[in-house]
Amino acid sequence: MASSLSISNIDAGYGAVSVLHDVSLTVGAGETVALLGTNGNGKSTLMKSIMGMVRPSAGKITATIEGTSHELIGRSTEEIVDLGIGFVPEGRRLFPKLTVTENLLLGAFRPTARSAIARNMEFCFETFPRLKERARQLAGSMSGGEQQMLALARALMSAPRILLIDEPSVGLAPLLVSRTIDKIKELKEGFDLTVLMAEQNFTQAVRIADRGYVIVHGRIAFTGESAEALNNNDLIREFYLGA
Amino acid sequence: MDASVDLLINAVVSGLLLGGFYAAVSIGVAIAFGMLDIVNIAHPAVILLGSYVAYIANTVFGIDPILAAAIMLPAFYVLGMAAYQVYYLAFERRDDQSIRGLSFFFGILFIAEVGLIMGFGVDYRSVQAWYTQGNLHLAVIELPWRLLVPFLLGLAMVAGLQIFLSRTFVGRAIQAVAQDQGALRLMAANPAKIKRIAFGLSFATAAIAGAALIIIQPVEPSIGREYIGRIFAICVLGGLGSFPGMVIAAVTLGIVESLTATFFGPSWAPAVSFGVLLVTLAVRPNGILGR
Repeated sequence: MASSLSISNIDAGYGAVSVLHDVSLTVGAGETVALLGTNGNGKSTLMKSIMGMVRPSAGKITATIEGTSHELIGRSTEEIVDLGIGFVPEGRRLFPKLTVTENLLLGAFRPTARSAIARNMEFCFETFPRLKERARQLAGSMSGGEQQMLALARALMSAPRILLIDEPSVGLAPLLVSRTIDKIKELKEGFDLTVLMAEQNFTQAVRIADRGYVIVHGRIAFTGESAEALNNNDLIREFYLGA
Repeated sequence: MDASVDLLINAVVSGLLLGGFYAAVSIGVAIAFGMLDIVNIAHPAVILLGSYVAYIANTVFGIDPILAAAIMLPAFYVLGMAAYQVYYLAFERRDDQSIRGLSFFFGILFIAEVGLIMGFGVDYRSVQAWYTQGNLHLAVIELPWRLLVPFLLGLAMVAGLQIFLSRTFVGRAIQAVAQDQGALRLMAANPAKIKRIAFGLSFATAAIAGAALIIIQPVEPSIGREYIGRIFAICVLGGLGSFPGMVIAAVTLGIVESLTATFFGPSWAPAVSFGVLLVTLAVRPNGILGR
């Protein structure tokens, strides 16, 4: 069944500082949508608004999970995750003093995810063999790349239908960035997910995205209906390629 | 066998038994302080409340103190959840828990103590059961039942909670909650609810520890103070968040105190215990098994 996300006309910010202005965006069932923009343009604020970590002052956020629609604004983060929306936050937010396995099992806290633990764990270990090798190691003692893998795997353990990923490339070496992006595509296909990914590494994100939005100063500045349209856009040339 | 060797063996054995009891009184703080970052210095007062409940059940109704503790377990659990709820609404939700939270628990400690004095006076109270006197003889070793029973209670409680924390979803969430509350929300768990459960468990252990305390020694309302320093020392020495570490620390402290008391006199025992704490922390700043 189809799961999708629709954001219409939201304004959001922190206290007196408004960050997002009249932002609208959709992620269709089974799509991978990239939210592109350099630092400080509101990508994370948009992600946090969807997850109930920032409360928008106007607008609507609707998630359709397996055919049922839910209004997200006003719900707590834990309720939103429990609906089937997984989030890989910026900075990964692992539990550093727990082992890899303990982190993964916490990912499956959500009651609906518990019955699928064995299958999901096996899938995560197949996709990230490194995590299996490090199963008993403390999460905080792993390298940045391994931690990003664990953060992705932990989010998948909650058996989400929609997955939000905030800046998966931050702090990773270039080779690891492209590997992580490839893994996201693999996971998306394996779990039949709908994905919204915020990223400032344009070239890497566009490789796996079906569509994309460019956010500038808290507004959607460009909507690219295909990877090609994104590649050929002037705004993007200006921002990313310096031309 | 040489008399002083017997003395040594018996000192070590009674220290070991004392250590199991120390684990029982410390485990509540190991949860609250070690896992939730809540400095509940009122915990010894809650333990004393458990002792007095066992005392009433024993003297008025003739109930076995351990059975009385088991019956009171749910009530202590609910009391703990209520205490956390007050703490959460008054301090934690507003993000100013550290100092004011400490004074909150300090207040509870005094109120509980004064309440017990008004209710029971300052006399020492004790309980009667088959294990409050007599020894188990094993060759040259004398195992007093009143130490052996609390030792076993302490170990059983630690083992049970360790299994709960490592094998259940709520248990793992309790271990994670102090590390990153926001991330716990992303696991679909409500941090305040998880902490409430954990604090309830912390209080529930005080019911058992209270019974163990009054089995070991007669109690009076201010006796809890003797345990505050020792309990926090054991938690820090073992490594915050680690039950096995806490047990090792409790047993170490028990044996060191017992040896010091036997060979140098009881007044040296606290000084030597805290010396052990300082030396250990100098070598291992995170405690014996701290992660």
